[in-house]
Amino acid sequence: MTKTKEPILQINHLEKYFGELQVLKDISIDVAESEVVVVIGASGSGKSTLLRCVNFLEYAQKGSIYLDGEHIKPTHKVLNRIRQDVGMVFQHFNLFPHMSVMGNVIEGPVHVKGMPKKAARELGLQLLEKVGLEDKAEVYPEMLSGGQKQRVAIARALAMQPKVMLFDEPTSALDPELVGEVIGVMEELGKEGMTMVVVTHEMWFAKEAADRVIFMDEGIILEEGTPEKMFSSPEHARTKEFLSQILPQEL
Amino acid sequence: MSNIIPWDFSVIPEKFLLFRDAALLTLEITTLGIVTGLILGLIVALGKLSQHKITSKIASAYIFIIRGTPLLLQLFIIYYGLTSIVTIPPFPSAIIALGVHNGAYIGEIFRGAIQSIHYGQMEAARSLGMTHRKSMRRIILPQAFKRAVPPLGNQFIIALKDSSLASTIAVPELLLRGRQMGSSTFMYMEMLIIVALWYLIMTSVLSYGVHRLEQRLKVSDHD
Repeated sequence: MTKTKEPILQINHLEKYFGELQVLKDISIDVAESEVVVVIGASGSGKSTLLRCVNFLEYAQKGSIYLDGEHIKPTHKVLNRIRQDVGMVFQHFNLFPHMSVMGNVIEGPVHVKGMPKKAARELGLQLLEKVGLEDKAEVYPEMLSGGQKQRVAIARALAMQPKVMLFDEPTSALDPELVGEVIGVMEELGKEGMTMVVVTHEMWFAKEAADRVIFMDEGIILEEGTPEKMFSSPEHARTKEFLSQILPQEL
Repeated sequence: MSNIIPWDFSVIPEKFLLFRDAALLTLEITTLGIVTGLILGLIVALGKLSQHKITSKIASAYIFIIRGTPLLLQLFIIYYGLTSIVTIPPFPSAIIALGVHNGAYIGEIFRGAIQSIHYGQMEAARSLGMTHRKSMRRIILPQAFKRAVPPLGNQFIIALKDSSLASTIAVPELLLRGRQMGSSTFMYMEMLIIVALWYLIMTSVLSYGVHRLEQRLKVSDHD
């Protein structure tokens, strides 16, 4: 599944400290266009921080990020532009509670990109169809289940027509029976060629949809490879240990 | 003992409407004071939350000074104290004093409300590419205003009652009217009770209005 094109997202030698604690230690990842990269690892391994550094919700002290060949300089102007191209889906959805589902989805296109409302609503409806929630357009987020909220959040991020989508534990806050509907939408996205970096504990998503799985441990990339390789014959003892704890029997 | 006049509460209904203009003036001072306070409060709250150190310090100093001194003193400073630079008539003096005073309290109400909005809201807005300013305006403030309604209602009631201090600088609002009527009729208690009734009516209407607004704005805030 390796791609030969210039990577659309390059993470180069990222180092991030919270005070004395170093949470990212020289992390480098190249993500090819249309590639689905799944980042796994124990909590505290730095995988969420890594994602948050990619769209500069956190600032890494060292290293650089390239998006579509552009070295991102963290000035307000550049970040406001770059973040439009990097969709982010959060663990706790972070929908805007004072706006309807449609309002959430078109907020970015209308108020960031300046798209006319009518066109934005058409786009919004398409995206809500894609995530299976076209009948919820006028509903407020409080009326939705967690799985529905997360699907709206995905539609909201997609509405910016991003080059890359980042998923920060998108199913960790969901009841188990709601995980499937969100994962389903994500798999679909991957098949359509969206470039995705996904931090998750859902190993069957990694197995089904990932081109590459990265195992992070204590701020470093300990091991990476195709899902087949990672799940069947991991090299490192730590990887084996982690997978044995987290993998359901059938995998 | 000779000049004691017995109370005669039967005059209350007939004298009641004689206070209407004074009550309207009370309402005007309060409304304009609150509007000024809301504008100042928003500026103070955003100033205090600003990353810019000096802006934040200025906002803090403002709150420190205003909350730490009596409104009556602030009123006197504006009406009497400033006379060597500028003479401000009683009515605008009262509005300015009430506005500046409430600005500090409302500023703290807004700040608390803004800070109570989960940081994930700001992150979601920023990750769509919104500027900080737009995120505030579109995402944070609308939610914060909703949360600020109950404490604001409380503050408005306080402001309504505090407007009575304008009586000390000869603004013919309710309390001054009551004292004047009392001294001209020697029916102090009766007139003061009328004043009390007017305040009660206005505070009741105000709290009912705020209550209704709260009900209408009731939107769940679980994330």
